Amino acid sequence: MVQINFAQKSVNLKIVYYGPGMSGKTTNLEIIHQRAPEGNRGDLTSISTDGDRTLFFDYMPLDLGTVAGMRTAFQLYTVPGQVYYNSTRKLVLQGVDGIIFVADSSASMVNQNLESLRNLEENLNEYGKSLSTLPHVIQLNKRDLPDAMTVDELARLLNPHNAPMFEAVANTGQGVFPTLKALAASVLKNIMNEAGQKSGYSAPQAPAPAARQAAPARPQAPAAPRAPAFAPPQSPLPMQAPQPNYSMGVPQAPAGGGFFPGAPQAPAHPMPAHAQQPPGGLQLARPSPAGHPPLAMSQTRSQPRPALNVAAQRPAPAPQARPQPRPAPAPAHGQARRPAAKAPAPAEKPRRKLTPIFIVAGAGVGAVLAWVLTNVL
Amino acid sequence: MSQKPVSRDENLRKSRLVFYENDVQRLNAEIDTFLELSKARCALLVDRDGHLVTRRGEPVRTSEETVSALIAGSFAATREMARLLGENEFAILFHQGTRDSIQLQLIGERTLLATLFDGRTNLGMVRFYAQETAGRINEVLEEIHSQNRSADLNADFGSRAEDALDKLF
Repeated sequence: MVQINFAQKSVNLKIVYYGPGMSGKTTNLEIIHQRAPEGNRGDLTSISTDGDRTLFFDYMPLDLGTVAGMRTAFQLYTVPGQVYYNSTRKLVLQGVDGIIFVADSSASMVNQNLESLRNLEENLNEYGKSLSTLPHVIQLNKRDLPDAMTVDELARLLNPHNAPMFEAVANTGQGVFPTLKALAASVLKNIMNEAGQKSGYSAPQAPAPAARQAAPARPQAPAAPRAPAFAPPQSPLPMQAPQPNYSMGVPQAPAGGGFFPGAPQAPAHPMPAHAQQPPGGLQLARPSPAGHPPLAMSQTRSQPRPALNVAAQRPAPAPQARPQPRPAPAPAHGQARRPAAKAPAPAEKPRRKLTPIFIVAGAGVGAVLAWVLTNVL
Repeated sequence: MSQKPVSRDENLRKSRLVFYENDVQRLNAEIDTFLELSKARCALLVDRDGHLVTRRGEPVRTSEETVSALIAGSFAATREMARLLGENEFAILFHQGTRDSIQLQLIGERTLLATLFDGRTNLGMVRFYAQETAGRINEVLEEIHSQNRSADLNADFGSRAEDALDKLF
């Protein structure tokens, strides 16, 4: 699903490489990671088995740069090819904006190609999508195999929607970038088409960004034969496998800081048993084991919190939805004592009005006491 | 598997998420309050497709995009597991590390609040305030998603994107 974030000036699109097992989906991503400019590519993350089979997905962000004031990025995913992993394969398709179907050109793989294509359509249908409307291209990979089927045969079998097709030998890089470029252009064109269709929509309270004119669909220009910045080698093709330089598995945070840069070393301790329950006020105030101070609401940090990056989030002139000052710890503590399953809070938080109520009530009690003391006693 | 017919408006709402500055400011205000109350260090609002909506608190050392993608993947896998076990979904996930821990809270249908915290607070605090915050954030998100929102990009976005593609490839 396209995400357009005018606050962060970003457009994010999700592209998925799909295809049968061992057809070269991960290899495509490895080549892109190796050869894309360093400033444009992110880390390649792979959740795979010991045998280098993709278990869940490979992932790599590819930054197109700032386009018309919007930072445009493609999130590239691959799926596991094996039928065994269909449940996880389907999950990766959630919110997909474009598909690259990587087919194995070998004649012995024709059934797997067909099965994968059928499975792709089924999984897309579960998300309310279809190849008939979703931008997609087909990459005929492993064109260097001696038993490779002809392009016409593969097109007849695998391309019922007449999508663009590209020949490739992914492990050498041939055809990898033209495939991705064609799909990226198709996805971007699709966005602009939808924007044109939506020009009649109204956004009542939207603080319009500077550029919000209706964008007519721009006909896709034929790709100009421009010299590529990093042209993949053409045949004759060396067949050695690429040696990607990336870590398999979840990227490890550098030692010493966990997720956070320069993070202070907080003492590691087992979670207290009472903390596993939804806390009431008394539980929060209970001293924790291992010498930790009680975690009351008034607790102050041993380290000051770094300033929140409000400035980085581009403040807007729109009225604040919550203009009140941040609640003081004392009323917030009172909030903590309320049951968690309370009715949804109204827009104005009650706890922020508790203090004036207490002041008025206290003044009233004081006045009554003064009257009793002076007139009765 | 039959495809459910959907109206064009519904299809467009499902096909993109649009956040204006005002939306993100409202979300940020809620998350800032949550971070102050819970004493957590960082919170990421991620949609189910793996796109980061906003991040508040301390910056994440590693790529925020990658963390967001993994958060969404983790939640998607757990949701599938829940369905296989007869549950609709597990609304809260918790991963405990030796120093940092992360709690994932489902908000509405397609947004996740990931809270990263360390030993200066505890799971109970984070969970309690995350649930409260989730309700308020959900109200904002429902308002956002219920609107037919114009998401018109700059008129020359398409042509400039093609130029950028030519430069990149």
